[in-house]
Amino acid sequence: MNKNKLLPVWAAVSAVLILAGIVLMAVLGFNTSLDKPEAKTFDVYYNVVVDLDADKKAALEAHCEDAFTQAGISYTEKETLKGVSAPTGAQNGAFNETGNDFILRYTFAADTGDGALAAAKTSLEGALAADTAFAVPAETYVSYAGVAQQPMNEHIWRGALGIAVGVIVALVYVAIRYGVGSALTGLTACVNDALLVLSLLAILRIPVYAFAPMLYAAIAAAVSAAFWIVRCNKLREDAKDPAASGLSAEEAVEKACRATDKTVLLTALILAVCLIVCTACTFATGAVLVFAEALLAVLVPLYSSMLLAPALHGKVKAAFDRIKVKNARYTGKKRSKAESET
Amino acid sequence: MGKKKSVILLIVYTLVIAALCFICTVSFSYGTDNMHTFSSVMRMVQKDADLGLAYGANADTGAYLGGGYSAVYYPEGVISAKEYDDNIRDMSEEDAAEYAAQYVRYPDANGAIYLEVGEACDESGAVNAAFAAAFEDSLATVTERYASLREDGVRVDVADGYTIRVFVPAMMESAYYAVSLYAYIGEFGLRTGDSADHATDIFGIRAGETVADYVEKVTSGSMSGTSFVEIHFTEKGAEALSAATAGAAETAVTLYFYVGDDLIMNLSTSEQMTEDSMYITGTYTAESAQITAKLLDSAVHTSGDALSFTAGDAFFHEAGYGANTVVMLYIAFGIAFAAMMAFFFIRYRRLGFVHLYTFLLFTCAMILCAWAIEFVYLSVETFLAFLVACVLLSASNVVTFEAARKEYALGKTMASSVKTGYKKSFWKLFDLHIVLAVIAFLTSAIAVGSLQVAAFVLGLAVVFSGVATLAVNRFGWAVMMGTVRRQGAFCNFKREEVEDE
Repeated sequence: MNKNKLLPVWAAVSAVLILAGIVLMAVLGFNTSLDKPEAKTFDVYYNVVVDLDADKKAALEAHCEDAFTQAGISYTEKETLKGVSAPTGAQNGAFNETGNDFILRYTFAADTGDGALAAAKTSLEGALAADTAFAVPAETYVSYAGVAQQPMNEHIWRGALGIAVGVIVALVYVAIRYGVGSALTGLTACVNDALLVLSLLAILRIPVYAFAPMLYAAIAAAVSAAFWIVRCNKLREDAKDPAASGLSAEEAVEKACRATDKTVLLTALILAVCLIVCTACTFATGAVLVFAEALLAVLVPLYSSMLLAPALHGKVKAAFDRIKVKNARYTGKKRSKAESET
Repeated sequence: MGKKKSVILLIVYTLVIAALCFICTVSFSYGTDNMHTFSSVMRMVQKDADLGLAYGANADTGAYLGGGYSAVYYPEGVISAKEYDDNIRDMSEEDAAEYAAQYVRYPDANGAIYLEVGEACDESGAVNAAFAAAFEDSLATVTERYASLREDGVRVDVADGYTIRVFVPAMMESAYYAVSLYAYIGEFGLRTGDSADHATDIFGIRAGETVADYVEKVTSGSMSGTSFVEIHFTEKGAEALSAATAGAAETAVTLYFYVGDDLIMNLSTSEQMTEDSMYITGTYTAESAQITAKLLDSAVHTSGDALSFTAGDAFFHEAGYGANTVVMLYIAFGIAFAAMMAFFFIRYRRLGFVHLYTFLLFTCAMILCAWAIEFVYLSVETFLAFLVACVLLSASNVVTFEAARKEYALGKTMASSVKTGYKKSFWKLFDLHIVLAVIAFLTSAIAVGSLQVAAFVLGLAVVFSGVATLAVNRFGWAVMMGTVRRQGAFCNFKREEVEDE
């Protein structure tokens, strides 16, 4: 089946997903659970006069683990915070490490029961009091707290505005170099891809860091524009070929797309492979999802570049070609009238 | 290009790239007991709060670049449970009972904070409505101040309902300054007098007026390397300032700048101030001037009822993604680089060296820029942007190589093939790079935070990619080809076979 005839299908798929995505973005926002917008933290403060060696630190952690096991709870993250104090000698400097204040912080899901945390606290306090290793030199203190992140949303609308302005101005350049029709298709593809990436994140409730959705949208828009320029270059090259003058707009677009499919596919494949390598390498770190989800920003432009944009541009080019012919006829008539008058 | 000239140029080119690679990536210790450390440029590049790496001459002793700092702000009438226990521990039984009666543990018997009876709650522990409302106002002010910094990684949390946990990335050079200053909440005040204790307000704010009737806004800026805070007065404010500094020519007048009851800074003037704006320079960096301006500006719009905070102990957090993430990113880049070079060497044989040299120069240029440009830092976002540009550069080089290959297959000389290949692909690649650079730079100009930096890195890398593929690559090709006799074999280019009729 001719790809161009499937335009309503691709347009409908995009429209439905984007509309659903916009509604979900407005109502629920993105799933930013990776940023832990709500959580409970369990802090074990310890202050050491002399260095708390690795064995004692390990023993402290073991006591914590035992307390959590007894209370029937499990944490999602563990980190060691080092105490810092005011800078010395510099009015506006950074902090200095104190060297003897530490917090062993465990982060739990927001729905972890306060009763279980209280039980863990009591159990841990008992274990530390009974362990002589922590009487001297360490002083310990155990507490837990519910934490709620305050929203800072400026980066979302500023990011969206930045991408929109960038894409529009870039496609003004495309309009000058390749024609208004190419710019309109390119603009549609870029906006479609950026919105589709955001919509998929919102609909599938994929856990993301708060900064990530706009980053993916920007990458999708850039990749989409790059793929479209590849197509435009071939279309312009073909237009100079006298043999292609007999082709209809849709045939010309299809020919150009066929010739550049390999380039687009290979580029997308290379980008995808790079992201997969990064995902594999950062598998044990917090960055793994950033790279894995960035695949969306490559796959969505690939979809629009292979299916949506060619089908759309067939129609757009045909319309612009008709206008061109009409204008040429009008210009020709005017010229012949002027010639007959003289 | 003559062979001798090519060989000399190739040696110089190789040495330059080797030196750049060394400076950018190799770190080592030297001297007696390895007391000194040579840090590579890559090691010195700032890392965001999610990444981090031991850094500089003290790397082995724990000096760390990346991560961030957190502190807890306690409002008036709230103390931590630890502070309560520390205070009560050594008190006599009678004092302890009196002290204990002043506080109620919140939210329950195991809570991490104590609320002061009367100030924040009643004897039964029910929170005062006025305290809760004032806390909400102060929380909004603190959140707005940190948000206005637009720093990647800045975060504000409410802990246990009535304390605020703030987090700033370590890459902020004035992290301490921000954390300590932003705890001050209250109305902006400008006083004058013999000393801070005896200073009086210069505005004489009447009933129904606020400080906003006298001060329009506070901004910051930099000019010729000097950073400043600029206070914009309204007409009434300028008149009050002029009156307050009327006698400055005879006796210097000291102005004290307050936020609530906290003195932020003071300055002396020996001339009357008649302008409607005042510039304060001092020892500000661009960042500390911005922090001060945001503090004073928000104080201009703060009501007198807001709660002030006391910043508790601060703590350093290591990289949010884990300490090994930077190393893993380097490994990922290494694998992708090896795979890319394998492709180029297999498909183009020794022409792969041309791409290798171009790519290394491009990478070194990006590393040097990341180090030299103040607001650029290494993060997963900027790494992603760099990765996209790497693919663009590689794809662009393939396009030029393939264009030359096609020309060579038609029977042209190598020089003519390269020239025609570049001629045919120049505008295609030029347009592609321009479009991407425009998208990236405009996004960077409008966006804030990590997207701003990532988009800037993408824009910069796209520009470098364009220059590298259209100029540097061609130069490298010309230099290397001048050193060989069988140029077709060097590039793994073959002529089209034409069958005899």
